Amino acid sequence: MSSDVTQAPGESPTFSSLGRASLAIAARIGGLFAAVIVVAVIFLLINPHFANPNLAVSILRAMSSVAIMAIGLTLVIVVGEIDLSFGAMYGLAANSLAVMWVVHGIPVYLAIPLSLAVAAVVGLFNGFLVTSLKIPSFIVTLGSYNLLYGLSLWVSNSGTFNPNYPPSGKDLPQGQLDFFIGLTQSFGKYQLSVEVFWMLGVAIVVGFLLHRSLFGFRLMAIGGNPEAAKLARLPVKRYKITAFILCSVLAAIAGILDFSFIQTSQPDIGLSQTFPVFAAVIIGGASLSGGKGTIIGTLGGALLLAELQIGLALLSPGPHVQQIFLGAVTIIAVALDLLLTNLRKSRA
Amino acid sequence: MIAADVGIGLRGLTKRYGSTVALNGLDLDIAPGEILGVAGPNGAGKSTLVRMIGGEESPTSGTLTLDGQPWSPTAQWNVVSIVHQEPQLFPNLTVAENVVAGRESGRAAWPKPSGGDLQIMDAMGLGPVRDSRLGECSLAMQQRTEIARAVARDARVFLFDEPNSALTDAESDELFREMRKLAESGRVVVLVTHRLGDLVKHCARVAVVRDGRVRAILSGDALTEDSLARQLVTEGAGGGSPASSGAASGADADAAPMFLARRWTGAAFHAIDFSARGGQIVALMGVEGSGARELLRSFAGLERASGDIAIRGAADLGRLRAYVPATRALSLYSNFSVGENLLVRLGVPDIAGRLLALRRNRMEALARESVRRFLIKTPTTAIPIRALSGGNQQKVAIAQALNCSPELLLLEEPTRGVDIHSKNEIYHLLRDYAASGKVVVIFCTEVLEIFEVADCAHVVAEGRLSRQLTIADYRHVEQLATDVAKLEQRLNAASAA
Repeated sequence: MSSDVTQAPGESPTFSSLGRASLAIAARIGGLFAAVIVVAVIFLLINPHFANPNLAVSILRAMSSVAIMAIGLTLVIVVGEIDLSFGAMYGLAANSLAVMWVVHGIPVYLAIPLSLAVAAVVGLFNGFLVTSLKIPSFIVTLGSYNLLYGLSLWVSNSGTFNPNYPPSGKDLPQGQLDFFIGLTQSFGKYQLSVEVFWMLGVAIVVGFLLHRSLFGFRLMAIGGNPEAAKLARLPVKRYKITAFILCSVLAAIAGILDFSFIQTSQPDIGLSQTFPVFAAVIIGGASLSGGKGTIIGTLGGALLLAELQIGLALLSPGPHVQQIFLGAVTIIAVALDLLLTNLRKSRA
Repeated sequence: MIAADVGIGLRGLTKRYGSTVALNGLDLDIAPGEILGVAGPNGAGKSTLVRMIGGEESPTSGTLTLDGQPWSPTAQWNVVSIVHQEPQLFPNLTVAENVVAGRESGRAAWPKPSGGDLQIMDAMGLGPVRDSRLGECSLAMQQRTEIARAVARDARVFLFDEPNSALTDAESDELFREMRKLAESGRVVVLVTHRLGDLVKHCARVAVVRDGRVRAILSGDALTEDSLARQLVTEGAGGGSPASSGAASGADADAAPMFLARRWTGAAFHAIDFSARGGQIVALMGVEGSGARELLRSFAGLERASGDIAIRGAADLGRLRAYVPATRALSLYSNFSVGENLLVRLGVPDIAGRLLALRRNRMEALARESVRRFLIKTPTTAIPIRALSGGNQQKVAIAQALNCSPELLLLEEPTRGVDIHSKNEIYHLLRDYAASGKVVVIFCTEVLEIFEVADCAHVVAEGRLSRQLTIADYRHVEQLATDVAKLEQRLNAASAA
């Protein structure tokens, strides 16, 4: 083996700080969006009436809160941990906001930041238990899932709230109501909801954080080899805790936005979102073993799921078909991933 | 050659991993009834040999025979038992269950040890702990369980791979007694260890493996620690001059030490006084369990220790030091490209600026510069780290730490599993780095490596530090090896007294 260093002075190696978004990952994301288009074409062939901008707009709306939670979960998964509690956090944020604002009359401008602060504390709690007490994140967040759901039941007294009909009988100030509903107001010819822009904003900010900042670089490093990161004295604990906090806060944002859109809070909202959100992240190409995942992929995963969900809801005789597809698509996505990885390896 | 009709015969055993040759036509006969020792420097092919006899890998070419019959350990794995330093058993089951596991009768009930199993356990002194959970037993008991397990399934060949590096002296004696019993019962027993004293004391013959072949078989009067130490290093060192030439004289002999540790005490070492001047490469030499590795790791802040420590007078070492672990798996990130691996330890302001935004142009420039400076052979900095050869991966692992510009660079076995060419390049890098006025401390188990790269060395044994050896005083590596062995013996004797 000749190990001469054959670097001629002229040919300098090219460096891409998007190294991980290398060809393989680009192909993975390309494939995902190709799947989105293929599914759309199939739906259109089945029913040409689906060629309707309103439908596209409602798919975007439907994916928004899933995508915001999935983006937060992507951070936790990239750093090599799991969060099962975000769905319950989504519910707690909506319920605590409802109770503070609708029941106790705390101005919404204050109640929203308070809800987000609660979410930050929950993330800190999860992160602290995982990093300092070394309890596996699966167990910590399984616990906090139930804990948060319990808190939602408690603060809401198992009740349902609608800001248009406060239980006290007194109406909420119109300004606050307009502001709150304005958060996700639909506008324009196709009734596009502002919630979609929240999703895009979150995606851009967190996308920068994960793919263009030192924070994301180290998150990827810690997820890729936590032991090495520790030996290299990277701030492993701090970064993991931050990922948990961001995941919780994003889940709370999703909960508050959906509350604004639906205008009704129930103690158990969000719980059923847990697994679809996981599915979106996994379909998006993130690896549960950490160190791998992209925001654009996660968005694609959420889009594919929303598309299937709405398309099938319009076509199918019952909800079982959606569930079966959700399961099948998740498994197929990961199976394809492994197959392609093995193909690449065997050729290399 | 005709294969021996009893015992194991190995003929022309060769194993290639890609372009690396781990075994290169190795011939060896092992007779039943003897304890055969195997010695060799790291990367000489010892562990490949063990894996091959143990059936964990098959040879690229060459033949194995058992009692004159062609033999494939991969298929007939039951014949061989490997006793590792860390027993590979089921810690959640009891000792007796461990002995039975894998040979359960066909019945569906929870398996019980047979009469024969009980006898074997009693004979090995496992009777009293039979129903304890294995994970709660001492390491010595766990190893004995592993042996009992193999005896129970009628294994004929026992390979001991560094079996006593974590045992106390009394436990080691027990273990060697078991080994002798196994040999006397007509089984084939092989002992692989770094501890030359054990080889001399317990083995009838010792095969020295170097560069994938058996270079010598020592027995009888020729089998001494000195002769072994000399055999281990002879190759390629003859012409080599000590590396120290430039660096040692470059360091000002009167200069105050740049790195200092006083009464430095941890779990594995006691009251160490250590100092090094800028420009020096200092080696800590010691076998596994001697405390040398732990001492180095304590300098890196990875082991608890107390006492005084300072770099240029600063007691908070923080980022003044950088540490390179012994295995690349502990320093490289498989999800990252070569460039990202080179820069992963940096932060603001080297690779990120305001709002933690990555400075991508600067990263590109830095990565390219590192590739050039550290002689890393790669087509681009964007390819996955796995695409590089082992030697180049090792250079990346070291470069990662060098990029932090530490005052004190700590390395564990910096050239383990690396080809000879990369080895020399790594020595070159380390010498250059030291010459820029920094301190480099390496933990190392190979005398030859110390001879080639270090300016001075300390032997560590039983948690104590020997006097300092100046490498430039030695003309031949054999002399150094002899002195190292002597110092080791003296430290061991001192602690025994």
